[in-house]
Formats: sequence, C-alpha cells, structure tokens
Amino acid sequence: MNIDTNQALFEQLAHQLGQVAGFIYPNEVEIQWAILIVVYPYITGIVAGAFILASLVKVFNVVEVQPIYRLALLTALAFMLIAGMPLNLHLGHPERSYEIFLTPQPTSAMAMFGFVYLWYLMAVLLLEVWFEYRAQFILMAQQTRGFMGKLYRVLSLFSNDVSPQALAFDKKASKLITIIGIPSAFLLHGYVGFIFGSIKANPWWSSVLMPIVFLMSAIVSGIAMVIIVYTIISLVRNEKVDMRCLDKVGLFLLVAIIVDFALEALDYIHRMYQAEESIEILGELISNKLFTSLVILQVLVGMFVPLAILAFARIRHLNDDLRKLMYFVSALLLQVGIFGMRWNVVIGGQLYSKSYRGLMAYKMELTGIESLGMALVLLALPFIILAVLVRLLPTQPMAGQPPAAH
Amino acid sequence: MKIPEQITRLGMLLAGVLAAVLLLRFVILPADMFSAAPHQAAKAVREMAKPVHYAGMPACRECHADIYDTKSAGGHRYMGCENCHGAAAAHASDPATGNPPLPSEREFCYACHAFDPSRPNGFPQIEPTEHRAGKKCIRCHDPHDPVPPSAPSDCSGCHGVIAKTKATSSHATVECAACHEVPEQHFTSPRAALPTKPAGRESCGQCHGSDATDSGAPRVDLASHGDSYQCWQCHYPHAPEMTR
Ligand code: HEC
Ligand code: HEC
Ligand code: HEC
Ligand code: HEC
Ligand code: HEC
Ligand code: HEC
Ligand code: HEC
Ligand code: HEC
Repeated sequence: MNIDTNQALFEQLAHQLGQVAGFIYPNEVEIQWAILIVVYPYITGIVAGAFILASLVKVFNVVEVQPIYRLALLTALAFMLIAGMPLNLHLGHPERSYEIFLTPQPTSAMAMFGFVYLWYLMAVLLLEVWFEYRAQFILMAQQTRGFMGKLYRVLSLFSNDVSPQALAFDKKASKLITIIGIPSAFLLHGYVGFIFGSIKANPWWSSVLMPIVFLMSAIVSGIAMVIIVYTIISLVRNEKVDMRCLDKVGLFLLVAIIVDFALEALDYIHRMYQAEESIEILGELISNKLFTSLVILQVLVGMFVPLAILAFARIRHLNDDLRKLMYFVSALLLQVGIFGMRWNVVIGGQLYSKSYRGLMAYKMELTGIESLGMALVLLALPFIILAVLVRLLPTQPMAGQPPAAH
Repeated sequence: MKIPEQITRLGMLLAGVLAAVLLLRFVILPADMFSAAPHQAAKAVREMAKPVHYAGMPACRECHADIYDTKSAGGHRYMGCENCHGAAAAHASDPATGNPPLPSEREFCYACHAFDPSRPNGFPQIEPTEHRAGKKCIRCHDPHDPVPPSAPSDCSGCHGVIAKTKATSSHATVECAACHEVPEQHFTSPRAALPTKPAGRESCGQCHGSDATDSGAPRVDLASHGDSYQCWQCHYPHAPEMTR
C-alpha cells in the first residue's frame, strides 16, 4: 500500500471512528465486507430463484409457467455470469481469481466457491440451455447467413439431428439436468447462507436457519425478477402478457413470500425467546442502525406491502392491466426488500461490536473498486447480458419446432 | 443402441476441455503454480520488507529498566510502552534520533478512562469534567504506576501544619472533632463540604469555663476574661499557649 491509499484509509477510518457509539474492539472500526458483498448474495439469489422457477416447468409440469420457461433460464444465466464478479472485485485482485482452482482448499467453504460456481454454471445452466436450444440452433443455422449463421452452427456444436428421437432425447436430458439442477441451485444459494450462518463468533449471522432463509428469499427475488423482466420485455416487444402464466407465477411468489416471512419471523422469535447475551446489542442494532433498512425497507416496504398487493390481486377480480401493474409493482418492491435483507445481514453483522457493547458505522464510498458506483455497474451488467441473450436465443420456440412442453 | 448425436458432440467438447485442463495441469504449467508455498514465501518477503515502527516493550527495558519494572507491577502492566509513547523503534535503536513524545495532557487518558457505560464492569473510570478538572492527571497519578493516590484518612494528610502545631501544643490531647464537625465528604471533596468552626466563646467555655466539667483544662472566668472578644482573637486555637 502506498502513502496515498494509506492516507485515504486513515481519513475514512477516522471518520468512521467518529461515529462509533460505545465500546468496540480496535479492529472493528473498518467494515470489511462492504457493498459488493451485499450485491453478491443478491445476484446469486436471483440465479437460484429464477432457475427454480424454470424447473417448475420441467420437473413439476406446471404448464401455465411454460411461456416464461426460457426467459427464467436466461435470467438465471445472465445473473450467473456476473455472480462471481462482486467477489473478485471485493478481493481486489480479479486477475488472480483462477488460483482458486489451482490451489483448492477443501476445509474452507469460501475457497470451495469456485467449484460450486463452476459446477452450477457449466454442469447445470449451460447444459440445460444447450439442450433446450439445440434444435433451434440447428434451425437458425439453416435459416441465417453469414456470421450469425456460423455462430449458431458453433453453438449447436455442428450437430444437425432434429429427428423426433433426438428431440425426445433433448427433452429427457434437460429434465434430468433440471432434477440435478434443483439441488444444485439449493447448494449454490444455501452455500451463500452457510458462509454467514457458520460464523459462530457473530450471533447476527450464526444460525442454522440462515441457509434456508437465504434460499427462500432467493426464490422470492428470482421469481420477482423474472416477472419484472417478462413484463418489460413484453412491453418493449409490444406483445401481450400471458395473464394465466403471470397469475400462476404470482401465486408461487405469494407462497414463497409467506414461507420466507415465516422463516425469518421464526428466526427472530427464536432469537428473542432464547435471549442470549447478544440480544440487547442486537435489539439496539435493529432499533438504531438498521431501523430504516430492516424495519422500513425490508419488512414493511419490501415484504408486507407486496404481500398485501399480491393477496389483494388474488382475492379480488381485477382486470388484466391492473393485475399486471400490481404484479410488477410488488416485484419491484420485493427487489428492494430482498436487497435490504442482504444488506441487513451483511452490513448489519458488522455494525455491532463483538464485545456486545458498541455500534460501528458504515460509510459507503461513491467511486472506487468497492463502491456504490461499482455496485450499480454490477447490478446493471446482468440486464445488458440478458438483453444480448434474448436477442441471440429466442424466448419463444420458433415456428416449425415442437414446443418443449409435455 | 445408437449413441445419440448430442452425447457424442458434448462428449467431444468435454473431452477437449478435459484434455486441455489435464495438459495445463500436468504438462504446461509449472508444478509450483499448484502450491500455496510460493505465495506464502512472497508474502513473508513482502511483510518483512515493510519498515518496522514499533520496537516492543522488551526493547525499552534495556535502557529504561526502572520504568519497565515500575510499570510491570502497576495497573498499566498489560500496556505496551508504545501504546502511550507512540512508535519508538527508531528511538530504541538510537536514542539520539530524538525522544518519543510524553502524552501528558488530560485528554490522552480519556481515551481509556473517560466514563463510558459500555466499558467492562469494574474498569477504573472517571468523569472528565468532575475528576479534578483542569489539572493534569500525571500530577496525581504516575502513568507508569497509576495507583490512585489514596484519599488521606486523617486531617494531617491535608492540614499538616495545623496538625503538627497542635500535636506539640497544650491542645495536643484535644481531638480536632472537639471543635470541628467534619462531614465524611470533606475527605474526598474538601472544598465542596467544609467542616464547621467554633461559633463563639461558649465553645471554648465547655472546657475552660469555671463551671466546666473537663478535668485537665485550666479555668478562666468566661464573663470577664478577655472582655467580649472571641477567644481565638488572642489565643491561636491550635496552639493556645501562643497568645496573639
Ligand atoms: C538504547 C537505550 C534506549 C532504549 C532501548 C530506549 N530508550 Fe528511551 N531514552 C533513552 C535515552 C538515552 C533517552 C534520553 C533521556 C533524556 O533525554 O534525558 C531516552 C528518552 C526517552 C523518553 C523521553 C524522556 C523525556 O524526558 O522526554 C521516552 C518517553 C522514552 N525514552 C521511551 C522509550 C521507549 C518507549 C522505549 C522502547 C520502545 C525506549 N525509550 C527505548 C535510551 C533508550
Ligand atoms: C499509560 C501511558 C504510559 C505508559 C504505558 C508508559 N508511559 Fe512513559 N510516560 C507516560 C507519561 C504520561 C509520561 C510523562 C510523565 C511526566 O511528564 O511526568 C511518561 C514519561 C516517561 C519517560 C520520561 C519521564 C520519566 O519518568 O523518566 C520515560 C523515559 C518513559 N515514560 C518511558 C516509558 C517506558 C520505558 C515505558 C514502558 C515500560 C512507558 N514509559 C510506559 C505515559 C506512559
Ligand atoms: C490504552 C488504554 C489506557 C490509557 C491510555 C491509560 N490507561 Fe490507565 N488503565 C488502563 C487499564 C487497562 C488499567 C487497568 C484496569 C484494571 O485493572 O482493570 C488502567 C488503570 C488505571 C488506574 C487505576 C489503577 C488501579 O490500580 O486501580 C489509573 C489511576 C489510571 N489507569 C490512570 C491513567 C492515567 C493517568 C492515564 C493517562 C496518562 C492512563 N491511565 C492512560 C488503560 C489505560
Ligand atoms: C488532584 C489529584 C488528581 C488528579 C489531577 C487526577 N486524579 Fe485521578 N484520582 C485522584 C484521587 C485522590 C483518586 C482516588 C479517589 C477518587 O476516586 O476520587 C483518583 C482516582 C482515579 C481513578 C480510579 C477510579 C476508580 O474507580 O478506581 C482513575 C482511573 C483516575 N483517578 C484517573 C484520572 C485521570 C484520567 C485523570 C486526568 C484526567 C486524573 N485521574 C486526575 C486524584 C487525582
Ligand atoms: C483531603 C484533604 C483534607 C483532609 C483529609 C481534611 N481537610 Fe480540612 N480542608 C481541606 C481543604 C482543601 C480545605 C479548604 C481550605 C481553603 O479553603 O483554603 C479545608 C478546610 C478545612 C477547614 C476550614 C473550613 C472553613 O470554613 O474555612 C476546617 C475547619 C477543616 N478543613 C478541618 C478539617 C479536619 C478537622 C479534618 C480531619 C477530620 C480535615 N479538615 C481533613 C482539605 C482537607
Ligand atoms: C480547641 C478547638 C480546636 C481544635 C481542637 C481544632 N481547631 Fe481548628 N479551628 C478552631 C477555631 C476556633 C478556628 C477558627 C480560627 C479563626 O477563625 O481564626 C479553627 C480553624 C481551623 C482551620 C481554618 C484555617 C485556619 O488556620 O484558620 C482549619 C483548617 C482547622 N481549624 C483545622 C483543624 C485541624 C486539622 C484540627 C485537628 C488537628 C483542628 N483544627 C483542631 C478550633 C479548633
Ligand atoms: C475539650 C476541652 C477543651 C476545649 C473545647 C478547649 N480547650 Fe483549651 N485546654 C484544654 C486542656 C485540657 C488544656 C490544658 C492542657 C494542659 O495544660 O496540659 C487547655 C489549655 C488551654 C490554654 C492554656 C495554654 C497554656 O498552657 O498556657 C489556653 C489558652 C486554652 N486552652 C485556650 C482555649 C481556647 C481559646 C479554646 C476555644 C477556642 C479552648 N481552649 C477550647 C481543653 C480544652
Ligand atoms: C484580650 C485577649 C484575650 C481574650 C479575648 C481571651 N484571653 Fe485568655 N488569656 C489572655 C492572656 C493575655 C492570658 C495570659 C494571662 C496570663 O498568663 O496571666 C490568657 C490566659 C488564658 C488561660 C490560661 C490561664 C491559666 O491559668 O494558665 C486560659 C485557659 C484562657 N486564657 C482561656 C481563654 C478563653 C476560654 C477565652 C474565651 C472565652 C479567652 N481566654 C479569651 C488573653 C485573652
């Protein structure tokens, strides 16, 4: 570190030190896991959630959801491609990231992330996408000329078997991959929760419920994200939204929120009833540092309001446009809520002293490698990738190709 | 059974990838890329190249053995010298480079001792605005052996001259309390709680009046002796044989 960054660090720490309340340990002034570590579980959550939504079609034969099957898959893929980047940037040396594969460390959950990621991306997402699109690649390679034609040929791996047997095999294969994929998606995001839940020195994190809470909130955010993407794409393409599909997805979303809420409430009730020695400082944390982000954003705006909207949309017979709007708005609010949840877990866990006697402060930087600016860039990237993907890979089966549904 | 085309294609791709990985792992890349040891070695070199700022307490002992020993027995025994005097590696290797600063301001001690409800139970704390405000802490506390000066348990601790004077006067046997009522708090915050002083001639008359019961005290006629002046206008009460 040179003098300049030292100086900047000192200034920042001095500022944070000024906002400390009570008694803290010296090494707690600096918030080590900052905004990018909030973005990371948020993005992987969307991956897992979107994939699980897609798997409803393949494994559970939920026919209504068929129209957004491909979109959900592509959403998962687009976010997956970015999921590792917050970590790489946070660690400060993205150019060394390949080393995680060179020197595996099986006793460290964090060090195994590279393999969890690789497995999910290569063995699940890419394979499933490939089987889903293979026949279509062949068709498009035949119909398009020039560079795009060549690209589709490469993408189809130069195969050209579109016989009914081959198509049937594709279907079977993608069903098998989905079956493997569901536990993998659970693994991917449960893993993220595990990273936090297994830190026994931090009572805000240390909870066996953490992986499963992360998982449920991942499902909520993934489904909500697919609703957002679907609504926007339909709007841009001027296509009619399939309300039967949206209603079904809305129902799944509603159930997921309720389960998620029940789990989180259980976690809090459990903590309060146990009333371990950390309870007082955690109470202070919630009522002081996290009031806006937890009580207002995560619970009220990000959970109760969308819950109410979704429930209302189901009970009352409203017209399509209104329902569409309600789904869209609640999906947006849910993103706020889930992002808030990630924030409250990651930042919240670092805002109170492990002496249980003081609270720290987090000051987010605007620019730099670990900053708000970088977080916004990372959050925008999946959408850009998705825009490219939906152009390259049609979200509806082409004419001339049998639909993938059963 | 015929192997589906998809599988052969994928299999070829996979075999290609696998071959590339194996080739990289066992042929192309040097073996030490797969070991953490070079990283650890490089890190050690990097860390060792950093300038040393702190010498550590044992280094100070060489030349400041007296202070070291004093401190090792006192309340600050677990604190390093450089916690208070700042990084002093340069000084320790060559004292001629300059003396470390002496943190003698009150504010310095506040960092650890200013009252804060969240400090551990029993940790010695003070209220900065009330605890001997305005005076440097080191006037009363040796920073190397910070025993709180015990509050004197008798009057001589603070009124030494009077106590000594009285002790050799004819009032030697007379307790201070015979003439002064002293509140408990006078011992810790003397100015905030002052004792009483005798109010009039009668208070001396308890022992010196002609009708007094006290045996050893010489008697005077209160009505006439010394007119109506207060007794202590002629007799210094703490050494009454000296008349003014
Ligand atoms: C090689 C012998 C040596 C070592 C080791 C050493 N000092 Fe000193 N120190 C001295 C001398 C000599 C002085 C000068 C005394 C004077 O100016 O009267 C001094 C002065 C000081 C003073 C200032 C005294 C004043 O009156 O201003 C401080 C404080 C001090 N040393 C602290 C330390 C600390 C802390 C260490 C350990 C990190 C240390 N010293 C190690 C020799 C040493
Ligand atoms: C709690 C803080 C504190 C610690 C710990 C401390 N000092 Fe000091 N030291 C002071 C202060 C304050 C003064 C100034 C005293 C004065 O001005 O009368 C001082 C003065 C000195 C002096 C010069 C005056 C003297 O008394 O000779 C030396 C030398 C010194 N310290 C050395 C040391 C060494 C060596 C150690 C470790 C063994 C040490 N100090 C630990 C606070 C500390
Ligand atoms: C880095 C923190 C720190 C600083 C700075 C510090 N002290 Fe202390 N002080 C302590 C600790 C720790 C103790 C021991 C507490 C205990 O015994 O539980 C202590 C104990 C004391 C005690 C009580 C000793 C006893 O036996 O009860 C006094 C008095 C004291 N310090 C005075 C000072 C003065 C005066 C200064 C400023 C020159 C000072 N301290 C600076 C940490 C500090
Ligand atoms: C005029 C002398 C004087 C000064 C100046 C002074 N103290 Fe004290 N200090 C005492 C006495 C006497 C006691 C013990 C009686 C008491 O607690 O008031 C004491 C007690 C303490 C204690 C022990 C309290 C406890 O509960 O064990 C600490 C700590 C302390 N002082 C720190 C400081 C600090 C820090 C400063 C400077 C900000 C300071 N003192 C200034 C005289 C002084
Ligand atoms: C901690 C130190 C301390 C102790 C112990 C102490 N005093 Fe004092 N006393 C003082 C101070 C300081 C004053 C105020 C002097 C001044 O105002 O000039 C004072 C004032 C007095 C006065 C004068 C009151 C006045 O109205 O002017 C009397 C009488 C007195 N003390 C008696 C006693 C007696 C008797 C004892 C023992 C039982 C005692 N003191 C113990 C510090 C002490
Ligand atoms: C025989 C009664 C008597 C006794 C015994 C006595 N005092 Fe006094 N003291 C007085 C009187 C009377 C005054 C008021 C003198 C004046 O106002 O000039 C006084 C005044 C004082 C004062 C105020 C300052 C001064 O010198 O005028 C102090 C301090 C004091 N006494 C301390 C003591 C202490 C300490 C003792 C015990 C060691 C003691 N006294 C014992 C009678 C007594
Ligand atoms: C508790 C009783 C007591 C009180 C009250 C008392 N005295 Fe005395 N005083 C004595 C005694 C006893 C002696 C004689 C001691 C001796 O001669 O050994 C004495 C002696 C004296 C003497 C004679 C000194 C000499 O040897 O010539 C004078 C003068 C005197 N007191 C003045 C006073 C004054 C003035 C007061 C009031 C401020 C006073 N006393 C209050 C007990 C008391
Ligand atoms: C105007 C000054 C004055 C005043 C006021 C005064 N005295 Fe005296 N006192 C004296 C003198 C002078 C003597 C010495 C006479 C002598 O040695 O014969 C004396 C002597 C004494 C003696 C010693 C007698 C002996 O037999 O040795 C006592 C006791 C005494 N005074 C008590 C008191 C008392 C009690 C008061 C207050 C009620 C008081 N005095 C007020 C001037 C005074």
